[in-house]
Amino acid sequence: MRKGRTKDFEGSEHELRALTRELDELHHDVGLPATRDAVGHMGATSRRTFLLGAGAMAGGAALAAVGSGALPALSGASARRLSALGAATFPPAGLSGDLAVATVAASLENLAVFAYTAGLSAVTAGKLGTVPPAVATFATTVKGQHTQHAAAWNAVLKSHGKAPVTVTNPSLTPTVQSDFAKVTDVTGLAQLAVTLETIAAQTYQAETAKLKSTAAIALSSSIQPVEMQHIAILYYVLGLYPGAQTSAGTPLAFNPTSQAL
Amino acid sequence: MTGDARTLAELLEESQDLQADALRPTRDALEELVETARPDRDDDPTANRSFHEAHTRALAASLTGAAVLGAAGGALLVGALASAAAASSPSDVQILQTAASIENLAVATYTTALTLPYIGGSAANPVITKFAQVTMGQHAQHADAFNAAAKSLGGKAQTKPDPAFVPVVDKAVASLGSATAAQGALGVVGLALELENVAAETYVKDTTLATHQNNKALFASIMGIEAQHVAVLTAVQALLEAGAPQLIALSPGTAASLPAVAGSVAFPDAFYKTNDAAPAGQGAVK
Repeated sequence: MRKGRTKDFEGSEHELRALTRELDELHHDVGLPATRDAVGHMGATSRRTFLLGAGAMAGGAALAAVGSGALPALSGASARRLSALGAATFPPAGLSGDLAVATVAASLENLAVFAYTAGLSAVTAGKLGTVPPAVATFATTVKGQHTQHAAAWNAVLKSHGKAPVTVTNPSLTPTVQSDFAKVTDVTGLAQLAVTLETIAAQTYQAETAKLKSTAAIALSSSIQPVEMQHIAILYYVLGLYPGAQTSAGTPLAFNPTSQAL
Repeated sequence: MTGDARTLAELLEESQDLQADALRPTRDALEELVETARPDRDDDPTANRSFHEAHTRALAASLTGAAVLGAAGGALLVGALASAAAASSPSDVQILQTAASIENLAVATYTTALTLPYIGGSAANPVITKFAQVTMGQHAQHADAFNAAAKSLGGKAQTKPDPAFVPVVDKAVASLGSATAAQGALGVVGLALELENVAAETYVKDTTLATHQNNKALFASIMGIEAQHVAVLTAVQALLEAGAPQLIALSPGTAASLPAVAGSVAFPDAFYKTNDAAPAGQGAVK
């Protein structure tokens, strides 16, 4: 619907330079310790059953490395790839404000990549029964988009001299592994995916209002709706109303943030 | 099944019953908004511009970094970021009024669509009918929320539709007069899809334009909902175009029959665009 619009963005070197300049704002952020605090309080009661069972923080969380080699299909195998880095050290010391948010965001995206990769491996191994073609396409496509999201956040970190995040979110990883171990069919995989996508979308939504850098806000805002679209199609696959909803299935006009990190 | 109208009707009822609960976060945000409406350093446009220009001069970040980010996000992301230069230009009231005008147009469009036999009548797919009903109600809630926020800042409520898009909608609706049911359903879905996408893209952009944190939060709470509307309508459009309306159904068994492309058609981009975002002041009260 282009009628009435005064200007369409077409992209240019000037705008690319503007982007570069905006990224510099990240250097100067001093706010938003909230994400670190939130990660440090993952044992709180704001998230639903998904996070309640395994005690995400108990005994220190582990991280799964992402980005090199084939990922294991199931949690038993996944555990062999875990590092010993605990949730208490994440985000790493020295990162605060928007850069800390970028770190958490990258780790969430890595976790999603990990989960979809594991799911696809399980599908290939025939461990989830008959898998509809649309579901396989969904997992492959969405995995690629999460990979791009992680790359975008890591590009922000790298442009500020910070190390890219190649591990999965330490607070959520143990629970995702535990829940994935219980998945026996496509429905279970889709339900797990809904939870991961919901946490990601709500985290981006919450941070969009808190981030200081315009560049970071724009990046967060450009990703949140895509995660929401993933959720809508997952609900459709599950035979549920294809939109944000309460736990009872009632559609919502305003997306909540109760499951945000 | 080809549509569980009873279940959806119950959902709609529950949605209306729970409207107050769903709006509570918005009300809370609006109450906070009133408290923070007074100008301060963080929200002062002049201060914001100075801050922006100071960092623009810094030139500390490397173009390599930007290129990587650009490659990761593509032109879409760059487009979103490019809006930063205008961050302090439009007022929050104007932005909110424009948003309300888009919502008003959406409500009017769905209202009209539901009078058509192949959308709201007995010949319609029940899932499409109920989606239109639920979505229309959500847009009404969005309009109320945007107007409440605008009024909290001393602005007027925008009760009219976006003037730039009204002719587009009128033309599209007029073209439906001679359409068959199949053509008409596709036409309505296509029109709704365009409107929803304009709304979603506008609000994505507005999160960078709004100066008040609570307004950013409001846009952020709605942009994803509109994006979900886009995703659903895109999927519905694809199924209609493929001659498979029977797959527009809410049943766990439907997934097995969906074509492979149904798993990707609804979200073609990893980063949401803002190319079609409405100009911030387009729907402001004159």
